Amino acid sequence: MTEKIRIIVNEDKCYLCGGCAGVCPSLAIKVSSSKWEFFQDKCISCRICVTACPVGALEAEVVEGKT
Amino acid sequence: MKYDVVVVGAGIAGPIVARNVAKEGHSVLLIDKKPAIGAPKQCAEGINIGVFEKHNIPYDKRFINREIYGARLYSPSGYTLEMRYSRVSGVILERKVFDKMLAFYAARAGADVLPRTEATDVIREDGKIIGIKAKKEGEPIEIRADILVAADGVESTIARKAGINTYAPPHEFDSAYEYEMLIEGFDPDLIHLWFGNNVAPRGYVWVFPKDEDRANVGVGINSDNPMTAKYYLDKWLKENNIPFKKILEVNVGVIPVGGFLKELVKNNVLVVGDAARQVNPMHGGGMAEAMEAGAIASKWIVEALKEENFELLKNYTTEWWEKDGKRLERVLRVRKVVEHLTDEDLDVFIQTLSGIDAEKIAGGRYSEVIKTLLKHPKVLMSPRRIALLKELL
Repeated sequence: MTEKIRIIVNEDKCYLCGGCAGVCPSLAIKVSSSKWEFFQDKCISCRICVTACPVGALEAEVVEGKT
Repeated sequence: MKYDVVVVGAGIAGPIVARNVAKEGHSVLLIDKKPAIGAPKQCAEGINIGVFEKHNIPYDKRFINREIYGARLYSPSGYTLEMRYSRVSGVILERKVFDKMLAFYAARAGADVLPRTEATDVIREDGKIIGIKAKKEGEPIEIRADILVAADGVESTIARKAGINTYAPPHEFDSAYEYEMLIEGFDPDLIHLWFGNNVAPRGYVWVFPKDEDRANVGVGINSDNPMTAKYYLDKWLKENNIPFKKILEVNVGVIPVGGFLKELVKNNVLVVGDAARQVNPMHGGGMAEAMEAGAIASKWIVEALKEENFELLKNYTTEWWEKDGKRLERVLRVRKVVEHLTDEDLDVFIQTLSGIDAEKIAGGRYSEVIKTLLKHPKVLMSPRRIALLKELL
């Protein structure tokens, strides 16, 4: 089964800089000036956002399949 | 609401476009999702002094923290290379004031400006984009416009919703983390840059003085690095015994440093600045590039509106690639080679180069410097170094 992940933000660490949205190939993350949002249906499980975050505010949680 | 042009994003490129187009008598709306334009900043705030005259921006002390006279580069083993001028070569801005003043100049030229107004999508009618959907202080609104300018930063929501593919792989971004903090022991007339694969993989640590004892201290690293930018900056501060308990700000973001959009225009939508990845890939600075792109884009928007011919907008792509794109592609080639340098290479090059060579690099005259390096014994003894440098000729 293809792995599916869910991206979780640690709001205490996040600066809403928008970097994760910028590197996301599928517009699965939206960052406004007051809110961070994740759209599961668009996520392609690439984890690019997790590594790109300058402060390590994002985590990937496996929701289907294997890591 | 209906305008000739709606500009999404009031960073650097957006207000330049809004100001230039409004000045020619066209109706322009500039929106930004932030409640205070310019804040938070995502920038080290350094800029070359030449941009003020070039882009008709007042040299206003309200947004200039400090005048800078050069730069000092540090190799991994501590060798230094210094460029020092007798005149001011650059300034460290206060972006929170600067960005707002750019929006003010746009407003004074006739543009409407709305902060805390976030573009959420484009409006299509019969396959054509005729405006944007936005949220103004949380309330949904629709703004119709003949031309859309996506100056919405690295996220480039509007560019992407308009069908302009701004995506780049993670290796083509840098991840950056910065403190504005009290720091002493560095010449406040110079910017300072530290290189090394353990210091800042692919990037550098910077100290950009804003005062005698206050500076932007940050790091940029490859964004696909397993460790965070914050990890590298805190490590560097600890290793250099720099106390970091007097921090005034924390700034974070990612920087597109891996190449540029081929097509900057799709029908009536133009993309400028970070959204178009118009950033110098060598040092990650993008303000001057955003201004240049904004100036070119606005010129063709004015022409297109005057002639009522939106085909003319495509000339923005052509002119940008001729003026800035080609130059930045060459810089990108250099950066890709620099990326493969070992710490020993960095030591050798910084030891070998003079201030005059560094000036030539800063001015984009890479080949002259490479020819000098190729004659140096420490380079001649290394086939790998010769091969790396020859890639650049």
